[in-house]
Amino acid sequence: MSGQVSDPTSPPLDAPVWRRMHPVTPVLRGWKVFAGVLLVVGYQASDNISSATRVLAGRGWLLVLAGLGVVALIGFVYSAIAWRMTRFAVTDDAVHLRSGIVFRQQRQARLDRLQAVDVVRPLLAQLVGLSELRLEVAGGAGSAVSLAFLREQEAEELRAELLALSAGLHRPADAASPAEPSAPVAGAPDVTAPKAAPAFETAPEYQVYEVPLGRLLASVLASGAVAWLLLLLIGLVVLSVTTADFGSALFALPMVLGVVSVVWARVNGGASFRAATSPDGIRLRHGLTEARAQTVPPGRVQAVSIHQGPLWRRPDWWRVQINVAGYGHEESSGERESVLHPVATREEARTALWLVLPDLGVPDPVATLDAALTGTGSDGGFVAAPRRSVWVDPVGWRRHGVLVTDRALILRSGRFWRRVVVVPHERTQSLGLTQGPVQRALRVATFVLHSTPGPVAPRVEHLDAQVAGDLLHEQADRARRARADAAPEQWMRPPETRP
Amino acid sequence: MADVPFDPADLVWTRVSGRLAAARLVVAACWLAPLLIGTVVLAVLVPAPWLWAFPVAVLALMVWVTWLVPRQVRALGYAERDEDLLIVRGIMFRSLVVVPYGRMQYVDVNAGPIDRSMQIATVQLHTAAPGSQAEISGLPPAEAARLRDRLASRGEARLAGL
Repeated sequence: MSGQVSDPTSPPLDAPVWRRMHPVTPVLRGWKVFAGVLLVVGYQASDNISSATRVLAGRGWLLVLAGLGVVALIGFVYSAIAWRMTRFAVTDDAVHLRSGIVFRQQRQARLDRLQAVDVVRPLLAQLVGLSELRLEVAGGAGSAVSLAFLREQEAEELRAELLALSAGLHRPADAASPAEPSAPVAGAPDVTAPKAAPAFETAPEYQVYEVPLGRLLASVLASGAVAWLLLLLIGLVVLSVTTADFGSALFALPMVLGVVSVVWARVNGGASFRAATSPDGIRLRHGLTEARAQTVPPGRVQAVSIHQGPLWRRPDWWRVQINVAGYGHEESSGERESVLHPVATREEARTALWLVLPDLGVPDPVATLDAALTGTGSDGGFVAAPRRSVWVDPVGWRRHGVLVTDRALILRSGRFWRRVVVVPHERTQSLGLTQGPVQRALRVATFVLHSTPGPVAPRVEHLDAQVAGDLLHEQADRARRARADAAPEQWMRPPETRP
Repeated sequence: MADVPFDPADLVWTRVSGRLAAARLVVAACWLAPLLIGTVVLAVLVPAPWLWAFPVAVLALMVWVTWLVPRQVRALGYAERDEDLLIVRGIMFRSLVVVPYGRMQYVDVNAGPIDRSMQIATVQLHTAAPGSQAEISGLPPAEAARLRDRLASRGEARLAGL
């Protein structure tokens, strides 16, 4: 079998040890195909309930059952073949993954470009004690390397190993196989690497916050989605009563389902949300049916946004989201992965920001952040949009503002939907300035910071044109200097061995 | 004037080739001319005078495009500084983009059939941010190649990961 896969393109010089996923994988994968088909069929049937019931009334359901059985079999066989063809290996500087049945793929993810490591446990995998290990490298959509499924123990060990290697620690020289190396190289910080049976032990962590379930549920109830759902339901009831035709309500069913699924995603993603700090970076654990343990190494967060809708104003709750290169490409899970805190108090929002940026670069971070979160005008030293911008934004003009600190740029906006975005100087990608005709007449311009794909879009509208122009050039300069002093990509590597 | 932030005093903008205007006009003509012919034919065949409004509208659009495109092209410019590249574009909706060389992930040079016949090419810079939109159209091929090599070498010298 191994002869079959070792085509001329394959073996790198350091002869990686190829490993397979857990043999139960095809069952879990096959189930996914089955569920997908079931969902599509179910959706089609729900569109046309009367004819669906007619089919199921006779002996039609036997046929449906047989069809589903065939689909399940095909899904299982396909997954089994895919499993046979999938292997992975970990070398000192890359993870290799080979997959594909007809179109073979060999993917190599460089560990020094690692952006995040997630251990994902979907419901079924949780039941049988398996996990998926996802490595995010910043390569655009679908660039994540997914190792699914591994035993939980194996996934944890592999994660520790990958993080240690990508931090710049070395495997002991004598250990040829990744399974039994004993101790990391001397001189490396021993927080991540005590002497133990696995190559690298998981770094110790310190929990900084946990989201109580009560607050999460209350926050979801007080969200815009639920408000929409209530409006929709009231509308439906009124419609059904006035027209005395309850069939028409069925048309709105997909919409209601959509809202319910959004609400469910919020609850599911935020349930038992815990954040911890460790030498490997930020660790986030959350999820009900799909448990997810994320590790974002230091310096990988590109931007942070802290925002609040009008309904969250009274309890003073904030949602904290982050941009991490590699997250945010997947439409379905990007929303979940990018959450740093689903519903934070003011205190916790500060802590969440501290996780990303321990030093905000201002003498009084608490006052500065308060000014950013709730202040208007020039509170807290912000450079605000000028009064004349009231013509382009009569509601929110007082909130548009920007503050440059020693370490980051803080952008403030939104009167009812308050939003604060923090971008560390060294994470600035490129900068832009735009101006429409009305803005031009008012001598104001919009300042835009380009960040990696994700939920955070740093921009501040309607700054004075001169101020915005100066900010653009100063910021380009500041970002360059910050990059030069930035911590290395391999965050554990001692400075003298840095290339 | 309100142009100050878009036109810093110490910068010399390199303007792109005027042939870009010709190329863009050819593209515009490719879909406007059939539209004009179609509407004229329709107006001739159907005896309803109000149908002539359509060819007139298309004609007005053509005049407007011929007036606008050369101005747009003249507004396009770029400037290479030691550490970053600046790109300016637009008349009504102006935009200025600053792309640090160290942030560049890769550079594309593109030229379609019309571009090639007009001897121009497009250089596009990609950073890790999709919003960068750092694109310079209408460069003579030699200049495009020079810019590409220069950007690539500068990017390599200043590369700083993400």
